[in-house]
This record gives sequence, C-alpha cells and structure tokens, in this order.
Amino acid sequence: MNRLTTSALSIVISLALLGSTGAAYAAVNVQCPGDKDGDAAWNAKNEKAPGERGGPPANTKCMHLIAGDSFVVMPDGNPMYTFGFGDQTGTPPADVIAEGILDGEWPGPTIVLEQGDEFFLSLSNVGTVIRPDLFDPHTVHFHGFPNAATVFDGVPEVSISINMGATLTYYYNIVEPGTYIYHCHVEATEHMEMGMLANLYVHSGQDRTGCASGTCPVGGRFGGPGGGTAVGEPQGYAYNDDDGTTGWDVEKAIQVSSFDSRFHDASLFVQPLPFAGLEATYPQMNGRGYPDTVVSGDLPAPTDNTVAVAGHDPGKVTGTPGEILNNGTPTQTMDSVIAVNAGEKLLLRLSNVSVDRFYTMTAQGLTMQIVGTGARHMRGTDGKNVYREVASVNFGGGETHDVLIDTEGVAPGTYFLYSTELHQLSNLTELDGGMITEIVVN
Amino acid sequence: MNSIYKQMRRLSGVLLTGLALAMTWGQAAAQHDIRGIEGQVFNLYAFPFNINLPEGTSLHMWGFGDQDAGTAGSHGDTGYDLPQYPGPTLIVTAGKPVTINLTNYGVPQPVSIVVTGHDVAAACTSPSCTNGLVTTASSNPGETVSYTFDAPEPGTYLYHSLDGPNPGLHVEMGLLGVLVVRPADSSRTAYGANTGTDYDQEFLYLMTEVDPDIHLQMERGHVAHFTHSDRFAKIWFVNGRVFPDLFQGNYNSLFPHQPYESLAQSHPGDRVLVRNINAGHDSHPFHYHGENLRFIARDGRMLTSDPDGTSGTPMADLGRSDNTINSAPKQAVDAIWTWTGAKLNWDIYGHDTAHNCVDTNGDDFGDGPNNTYEHEYCPDHGKQIPVTLPGAQDLTLGGWWSGSPFLGDVGDLPPGEGGLNPFGGYFLVWHSHAEKELTTFDIFPGGSLSSVVVLPPDVPIQ
Repeated sequence: MNRLTTSALSIVISLALLGSTGAAYAAVNVQCPGDKDGDAAWNAKNEKAPGERGGPPANTKCMHLIAGDSFVVMPDGNPMYTFGFGDQTGTPPADVIAEGILDGEWPGPTIVLEQGDEFFLSLSNVGTVIRPDLFDPHTVHFHGFPNAATVFDGVPEVSISINMGATLTYYYNIVEPGTYIYHCHVEATEHMEMGMLANLYVHSGQDRTGCASGTCPVGGRFGGPGGGTAVGEPQGYAYNDDDGTTGWDVEKAIQVSSFDSRFHDASLFVQPLPFAGLEATYPQMNGRGYPDTVVSGDLPAPTDNTVAVAGHDPGKVTGTPGEILNNGTPTQTMDSVIAVNAGEKLLLRLSNVSVDRFYTMTAQGLTMQIVGTGARHMRGTDGKNVYREVASVNFGGGETHDVLIDTEGVAPGTYFLYSTELHQLSNLTELDGGMITEIVVN
Repeated sequence: MNSIYKQMRRLSGVLLTGLALAMTWGQAAAQHDIRGIEGQVFNLYAFPFNINLPEGTSLHMWGFGDQDAGTAGSHGDTGYDLPQYPGPTLIVTAGKPVTINLTNYGVPQPVSIVVTGHDVAAACTSPSCTNGLVTTASSNPGETVSYTFDAPEPGTYLYHSLDGPNPGLHVEMGLLGVLVVRPADSSRTAYGANTGTDYDQEFLYLMTEVDPDIHLQMERGHVAHFTHSDRFAKIWFVNGRVFPDLFQGNYNSLFPHQPYESLAQSHPGDRVLVRNINAGHDSHPFHYHGENLRFIARDGRMLTSDPDGTSGTPMADLGRSDNTINSAPKQAVDAIWTWTGAKLNWDIYGHDTAHNCVDTNGDDFGDGPNNTYEHEYCPDHGKQIPVTLPGAQDLTLGGWWSGSPFLGDVGDLPPGEGGLNPFGGYFLVWHSHAEKELTTFDIFPGGSLSSVVVLPPDVPIQ
C-alpha cells in the first residue's frame, strides 16, 4: 500500500495502464515514509518515528486531510453549508471515509511546517454527503510554494485532482519560510467560497540556528534564551534575516475571509450558484465573526437555527429548530484570540482569502510593521530591509503579510484588530460583529 | 549561459517539432516580447464594435483602432486595422516625443486621450473640437485631435479616454490601451543597461472588468441620460480576453476585435518581465503561481535605493518579492518572475534516465556542451519522485495536464483527456485571486484565469 520509492518509469506506466500498477481503484491510500498501517502517523509498535533508528529521516512530516462537506454556524445563528478540509491523521484507512464525512473544518486544519521539512500531504476525497448529486474532485493548492511543479500545484485545469473515495499524496520539499495559504483550486470560485481555505506557515531555519553571523540567538522554540519580553531573545524569527529584526515572542495566524450566505444557501438547496452576484455578507477571521472571534478554542458543534434568521424560518436546514448538524462534531476549531505580555513582539501572519473583495486591517493604538509579503522577507536585492511601519494593511485575496507588533511601552489593556471597512463589522444584518477581534496586552 | 549553444539547442528543438515553418529566425524566435505598434506618431481612431464571449453572449464596446493598419507592427506589418479591445499597445523609445492623432469616427461621445504619468498637450487639428474639463476631445465624426507628450522615462503606462459628460464610461466601454516606453539605450531591459532589469521574455498583463448592463444600455443608445453609479462588474479580462480565449494566439481571427493573448511562456531559469497594469475601475489581487515575482518598478519608476545615480547607474534593488500583486485601478507594476525548479528534491526530467546534469560555472544549474537540459538544478538530478500518483480512474485530468509529472514528458491519457499541452510543459496559472473574477457573466470557468507555461529548454518560445 505504501509504495514510496517507485521508479519514475513506473509512474508513467501506471498512468499508461490506467492505474493498474498504481493504487487500487477508489481506495484510501496514504503515502508516508515509515508509516506501515496507512494512517499517516508513526503510532504502531512496528513503526519508528522520524529520526529514530530505523525510522524515516527526522525532517519527515505527514498529514492526512479529507475533503468533504459540513455545516458551520454564523454568530447570528445562521447555519451555513460548507465544503471543507478535515484532519484525519492517525485514523486507520478503513475508517477514514466514515470519520471524514461531515467533518470538514472551517477554516481547514492549520498546517505548520519547519524549513527543511519533507512534507507528505495525503488528501482523501470523502464526497459531499449533503449534496449526493455532486461528484466533485478536490485538490490542495499550496499557495506561494516556490518553484512549484504542476503535478503538486493542485490546479485542476492544468493538473490532476482526486476523485471521491480515493487519495492523492502531495510531496513538498520545504525550503522557504513564511506565511502561505492552502486551499482547494477545483472550481475555484465555488469551492473557495464554500470554505476550502486554510492557514499554512513555515517557521524559519534561523529558529534552530540563530543568525548565521552570530548576531542573534537560537529561538526559544529550540532551546534558545527566548526570554519572554527580553529584547533580542525571541521565540523565533519570521525569516532568515541574519539581523534579528523579524524576531517574535508570540505568533498568531489570522486568515480573513467572507461568506455570501445566499451562495451557501443556493448550494444547500441545490439551486444555481450566484457567481456574478456574489458579495460578502459574513466577514470573518479564522472562520468566525465577532463576537465568536474572541471565544477561545472550538465553537460548539453546529445546530439548526432556533430563531428566524436572514429570511429563513427556524430549522432552515432540517426543518427542526435546534437539530444537531454534523453528527455533533465541532467544525469551527480555530479562534482569533490574541494575548501578549507588554514588551513582547507579536507576529501576525495575516492572509486574505476572500473571493470577492479587499480588506484593510488596522490595530488601533498599536504600530504594525510589515516585514514579509507573499511568504518572503521584505528585503531588496541590495540587502536593505524595506519594512514598512503602517497603521493599515490593505490586501486582496491571495495576499499574505507578516506583521510585527512591538508592545514595548504599550499600556496593558484590550486593543482591537479589525477591518477599516467599518461596514464589514457586521454579521449580515447583525451589528457589532464581523471582522474584528481583540489583542489583549497583559 | 552560452547563448549560441542555447540557440542551437532551440534550433534543434524547432526542427524536431516542425515549428520552423513560417518563423523568422533570430533572437525573437527564442524570446517573446509584447506585441503592438511602434514609432513616434500613431494615428488612432475610435469606433464602436461588438465582441463575442465564450459563454455565448456578445458585448458592445467602444475602442481605439490603428488607422495605419499595423504597418508599424512591432513584429512586422500585421495588416490589422479593426477597432480593438484593448486599444493598440503603443511601443515607443524613451526620450523621443510621441504624437497620437485621434479621430472619432463613430463613438457617440467626445473621445480623448490622457496618459498615466505624462503631461499630454492636446491640439485640435480639425475646424472644431470639444474642450472638456480635462482635455480636448474629438466628438464629431472625422474630427481629429493631436495629443503630444514627451516620454522621458521607460516603463509601463496606460492611455485612455477621459472627459465628456460621463468620464468613467469611456474606460468601461473599452477606450484604453497600454503604452510601453523602452529605454533609450536599446538594451533588452525594462529600465536600461546595468539596472538589473534585463529579461528573456516579456509579457503584458492588462486587467479590466466590465458591467455588461452598461454595455447593453450603450448598445441601445441610452447615452445621454445614463449613470453608472450602480456599476457592478460581472466579466473580468486579461489583455481584453477571458478564459479560455486568452490562451489563443495574437491576432487570431476567431477574436477579430481582441488581438492580444495572455499565455506567458518561459524556459527554466528565464527572467520573465511581467508588466502588470490595471485599466479597470476595481482593484484586482492578481496571483502568480509557480514562484514569487521580484518587483522592479511601480508606475514607470524603478524601485531603487539610488534614484539620483550618485553611486553609478541606479539599480532596481528596492523591490520586494510577492506572489500576488495588489493591482489598484490605473496602477502599473513591473516585476521579474523566474522559475527554476530548484530544490523540489526530485528530478523534473525523471522520465529521461539517460540525461546528464553538468554544472561548469558553479551555480548549481546545468550548463555547457555536456549538459542535457539547460538550467536543470543539478543537486536534484537523478532523485526519484517521492510519491506514486493514483491511477487515472481516481483522478480528474485537466485539459492542460500532460499525463506526466515530468517536464517535457507526455504520458498516455484516456481517450478525450488532455491534449492541450503537447510539449509536456508545466502550466502554472496566473489569475485573479478574487476567485469570483474567474467567471464570465455568471459562468465558471472564465474571466481572468490565465497561465504561464514553463516549456522544456528545447521548445522554442515564439
């Protein structure tokens, strides 16, 4: 099942013979070095973890995502039908389809990598059980991946995508630190509006080594001093800057996005999808609008609406108000809670995945310094840092910014990170919502 | 890089693939530059026309055409004289004055020309013209206005009509085009020799968007009492075409009023100059797959730490790197994109078990007479691809998928699949990342979904 080292020739042949030498037709088939039971984890007695004697190289990482559907709930109680990615790493292959059904998360599971990793990402398509009329394939597009080869770029028009019941394993050699995105690229307008979007970032090698020139220490993440608020002793560095200027004490990925509830309802009720009319109505951070943004950890598992919302009677999805959706599995698992101690440097890994509009972020009362864009250090070819100190970060879909907020000398208190398009601070018609969260300085 | 050797390899590629037919041999055969019309004096006219869209509708447009019928075409006489969307790309040389003589033959509003970043003088060369708030316009059929300006600085600019009772309407309807100012030293650079802006391939990425309701109103003649304050775009273009039309060749007769394609092409290691400019009314986050771009200029001004040249020739050394350009209305960004395939940790030529990777100059990339694939990343040479691909039953196959993960290889595909990528290139899409804009009037896929194709070193770029 886990054939990892197959000659290049056999790949061509496997395509030539329509898969007869490849994986069995329509089966969950994880490929992960050293994993013998196909669950993308090294948890069995006969499996050695990366770096162990007899195990795969220490820089091996594996993950098993499913692509499917689920429900989430907006802060005003409006249930949204979504497509999404879920994490089934560690699930036996025979159970992956059953476990993965109705288990898409919003946003998708965050992927955190280290520079130097070899990343084996298996994607199993569990289908859309709420829309059995659909047979959509799915992909992972690692947005911003340097020198991407078409085969692992996940764009269905020019590459391959995985059909229901089967698994495609992507391979990425991780060489550039920074803030990326991953998302499905199949029928991009639809699948991305429906929620197949997620955070992905890569820690710098400098975290492990300190500055090559010796001018900054190893990051606290890897046993360096990492002295809390102490200047020059960060937990890590956004980039291999060799001058310590991208050092951070606290990092937080914030992905801004938006749903058009009419689009999601059209999908749920099997209606033509309004591409031309698409307009954001539920602005969100990490898959939730305020006040859910400041709820720590998982939101409760989604239930059908108990009161009328957005023109829908109670029980929009099932006809039964309060009915449990998703088998009671929480699907909004990523909060937007940000807390630092005064004096610490906060690294915001900001990404925008809105499919229809730009947003401008500000952190009222705090200074933001952009040190990276598009998963690259902001440095000119002559070696000069071209950081920008700003009060606003304007970005469109697909743009990522690494923003440092230095809280040295900042009075403790609650600050806000929000969209300066102030009409986006709402959840459809509900005011005091949308794209806003708190930065608590203790 | 041995350029003679490189050209010989490409010559052999040409002969092998039978593409030598009708090709002018020389540097241009291996290097792409933007199509347009060249010179110092341009005679343009304005006229209405209709374009067809791939989802089946047509769109009424107003556009500029070349009265000289392409005799000054950048790649020879095109004989092309139709009004077009976008207008003719004007290619001029820095330091020489430019004249555009504009005659309106049938657009039902006064038509004018302004040029971003330039002070344009307008002179009426007809008995009468219309003096508007911003500039002088040609309003009645046959009236001609001469627009003159100096073009002292190289770069990417936009020209478009402005003024009249509803100024924004003109760009909406298509009265726009790109001005490319080349450096005076004739170097194959964006901003002059030794500025770090040299390139192998050059492509234009001109973004526009339209609201078809407005075009319908104009087609019905509702000009005088029209307002577009409720404009809501529904179609998104690159170089005046939408997906998949934008992959077809320049001056393709299938698209009589849309002469410009937008499929970019590159070989591994090429420096690809992208001139990204937004002529529309809305911002577009344009995303480039495959690799980041290094910004070199914004609005025709090089991003340099030494604009006065106090320490020699200014270099484009201050631009940042990004994979998405936040493209604001009428803003231009010039950037260099280079895909090498380095550090993938598997051999992208893995289908060819006999090839050699020889690095003679110590840059890790293959070169010289004993090397097989120009600019192969040698440290990855011979490494097997670390995963097995699923069988074809488990996959949905894209039309531009070659059937193989390797560069320059084509695998067998089931009947009816693939077929659009005969050279086994790596297609990496370049598109608006506001995915809503990948639609044409409510139909996906469409809109501003374009692509670059990284071609194997043997395949010539035309």
